[in-house]
Amino acid sequence: MSADKNSQKITLTSNEGTNIEVDRVVAERSMLIKNLIEDLQDEALNNPIPIPNVNDPVLRKVLEWCEHHRNDAVQTADDDNDNRKKTTDIDEWDSKFMQVDQEMLFEIILAANYLDIKALLDVGCKTVANMIKGKSPEEIRKTFNITNDFTPEEEEQIRRENEWAEDR
Amino acid sequence: MPSAVLAGMPQPGAQDDIEATWNYLQHGVTRIMNNLQDGLDLQNYMGIYTAVHNFCTSQKAGTFSITSTIVGQTQRGAHLIGEDLYKRLAEYLAEHLKDLVAQSKAHTDEALLTFYIREWQRYTSAGKYVHHLFKYLNRHWVKREIDEGKKNVYDVYTLHLVQWRDVLFAQVSSKVMDAVLKLVEKQRNGETIEHNQIKQVVDSFVSLGLDDGDSSKTNLEVYRFHFERPFLEATKAFYQKESQQFVADNSVVEYMKKAEARLEEEEERVKTYLHPDIAIALKKACNQVLIADHSNLLRDEFQVLLDNDREEDMARMYSLLSRIPEGLDPLRTKFETHVRNAGLAAVAKVASDAEKLEPKVYVDALLEIHSQYQGLVKRAFKDEPEFTRSLDNACREFVNRNEVCKSGSTKSPELLAKYTDVLLRKSTTGTEETDLEGTLVQIMTVFKYIEDKDVFQKFYSRMLARRLVHSNSSSDDAETSMISKLKEACGFEYTNKLQRMFQDMQISKDLNAGFREHIQALGTKGLDSSYSVLGTGFWPLAPPGTNFNPPEEITADCERFSRFYKNKHEGRKLTWLWQLCKGEVKATYIKGAKMPYTFQVSIYQMAILLLFNEKDKNTYEEISTTTQLNSEALDPSLGILVKAKVLNLDPGSDKVGPGASFSLNYEFKNKKYRVNLNVGMKSETKQEEAETNKTIEEDRKLLLQSAIVRIMKARKRMKHQQLVSETINQIRGRFVPKVGDIKKCIEILLDKEYLERLEDDDIGYLA
Repeated sequence: MSADKNSQKITLTSNEGTNIEVDRVVAERSMLIKNLIEDLQDEALNNPIPIPNVNDPVLRKVLEWCEHHRNDAVQTADDDNDNRKKTTDIDEWDSKFMQVDQEMLFEIILAANYLDIKALLDVGCKTVANMIKGKSPEEIRKTFNITNDFTPEEEEQIRRENEWAEDR
Repeated sequence: MPSAVLAGMPQPGAQDDIEATWNYLQHGVTRIMNNLQDGLDLQNYMGIYTAVHNFCTSQKAGTFSITSTIVGQTQRGAHLIGEDLYKRLAEYLAEHLKDLVAQSKAHTDEALLTFYIREWQRYTSAGKYVHHLFKYLNRHWVKREIDEGKKNVYDVYTLHLVQWRDVLFAQVSSKVMDAVLKLVEKQRNGETIEHNQIKQVVDSFVSLGLDDGDSSKTNLEVYRFHFERPFLEATKAFYQKESQQFVADNSVVEYMKKAEARLEEEEERVKTYLHPDIAIALKKACNQVLIADHSNLLRDEFQVLLDNDREEDMARMYSLLSRIPEGLDPLRTKFETHVRNAGLAAVAKVASDAEKLEPKVYVDALLEIHSQYQGLVKRAFKDEPEFTRSLDNACREFVNRNEVCKSGSTKSPELLAKYTDVLLRKSTTGTEETDLEGTLVQIMTVFKYIEDKDVFQKFYSRMLARRLVHSNSSSDDAETSMISKLKEACGFEYTNKLQRMFQDMQISKDLNAGFREHIQALGTKGLDSSYSVLGTGFWPLAPPGTNFNPPEEITADCERFSRFYKNKHEGRKLTWLWQLCKGEVKATYIKGAKMPYTFQVSIYQMAILLLFNEKDKNTYEEISTTTQLNSEALDPSLGILVKAKVLNLDPGSDKVGPGASFSLNYEFKNKKYRVNLNVGMKSETKQEEAETNKTIEEDRKLLLQSAIVRIMKARKRMKHQQLVSETINQIRGRFVPKVGDIKKCIEILLDKEYLERLEDDDIGYLA
């Protein structure tokens, strides 16, 4: 059965309706797909699985990540306190993988969240965190193209409240 | 947006509109709840998942609530949406279950069980689906709520269970349980039932045991309260009724079989379809109702079973009563009394003529009872230590205090020692040899129970001495084996003397060989003699009670040996124990004998007979003067010679004694050519016994005194009462001392100023 499972292929349908064939184990990095196959069995193995919230380029990008990580140990639910999470270190391959434009980066994070691929979501969030790290609010606004909608009074209050966190 | 939606399913509405979203979801969930067997297609599966996701990530929900941060709560950060969905789902499930409750009213008994199980299975498998479909809600909103310590928020599957428990289970569980109990009762009454149903109900009840603190864990509280409790009550009621009825109509033995079968059945029941958690409680309940409630009845039957040797039934009773606390105590008491009485009866039977009681008969009687009941303890009572102790107590009683021991408790050890002597002595019947070791082991069994072990020691050493001196011990191996057994039982001190005696004999053997060589080297022609040198302190032997003037031949040889020995061991004094010496003389004078007769005689007899080498006729006075023997030694020696017609009592003398004269009988005739004239005299052994018994009293006093001194030397100062009880403790291994004797011994020691009397009833030790 497991040998069988390794060579099984399934098809995913992106938002635009394009079909992507992929190894079952690769797709099962997504807990959503894993549970779905578990619940629907043959129905899911023999028919294209619609992924309504993800478009073709993003889905392909996500699957590329899954392919590279196909043999990683499956994360258990209790991994929350994992040290890995607490650092912003990123594996070299992952960090290269994440060198994409900002829009794509956020699309990947949203897709990882939707598809329930925890490790990928973590990598995405860390990448964003690294982009923020060491920057002033003004720089951050610039990086992410955020307009400042605080009144000067509000901004002053926030600054006071977070004084303890300032680098000095 | 889902690209394909099945007909009949509403479109998921705007992603942030709870009404529209829920409307869509409800359709999907209902389908899963009611028609799971039809399967769910990919579009709908993904549709529902996506709808949940989209709702939770909708713009409104995703807004960072910074405004509220400023106003109040600062720690929450992003506000997660999902509560509405969760509540809707919970409400939906409650409604769904209310419907089921209504449906359940149409069913009773087994049909209700079938209904409950079917619906449970349907509901829980649907729950697993919904759990997956609402995974996004679980991952974010539920997780956050639980992390923040909110009570009554569960992951979606657990929510299913909680709702089942609170809505359906609360209403129907007792009815379901009634059905279960009816089913079990049917089975107890011998019907075949579908016990898989009960198993499934048990599993369902167990699943509902949700830990309030941590919903990912389960506990057994729900199961215990709703299943175990009523189950145990029903079990008790059932067996109470059944056992009362059964006992009224059947014998106790039949009841025991029944109870045993029932207990086994219940154990089997746990294994086949109950939760293992109930095993101990169920066993306890059954034990109470089936055994403890009838324990008096059972125990009353025990005596009957004992009297009739119903081993199998006793085993059954044992195994039943061993299941309840203190169930066996009364049995042990009865058993002990019974064994004691059996032992006493067995002794009484053989003791009709105590004076002539054969040691073997007596010991065998003791052993038979012991082995009979030891067998019973082993087979029926599983060698349980407490029963073994009861057996030991009973045996100790009847071994030491019975009909034969009426005159004194020293009778048992005496007879036992005598029996041992019979066994270890060279006997004409060779059959016993094969199992000699086995019999010795049995002797030790009785020995273990003997209280006056010192008496046994006395008699044993006296008889061992006799066996060794007369070299009529059956085998050295058996002797050493017996000594080592005694040593094992009572310690080195107990057998020290016995061992030394044994060694003396070995040393004497070498000595004789040396002496023979010495004689050969000298070239003197001596007698064919052998000597035993016995250490005075170790042997229970006294010097002869008469003067004796040994014949010349003997004196010469003895002197040669004395010189030889003194040469080897300077400073040692040899005392001749003439009364133990023996020899052989050849009678060449008898007419009509084809070959000369050989007489085996004591040294006294030898001295008498040798006088007739000089002349054919000797008077009593002449014999007495020459041999120097006093009448106690002379008369019996002569008596045997006359009785055997080796000597003739001359006409005119009516009995052996002063004035009589004796002449050699040339006409002597006997079937055998070797004639043993050295036969022990009855009166002699009787006297010995009396003497042994007398020395026992003396020795005990010494033993007590030395124990007292030993204790005082260690303690220096002690209360009188304490000293007495301590002495009893120390001496108990040898005999059971009387308190009066101990007090007397303390008095003696006070007089001798080993001890002193101090204030407050204290005794002090004087170095």
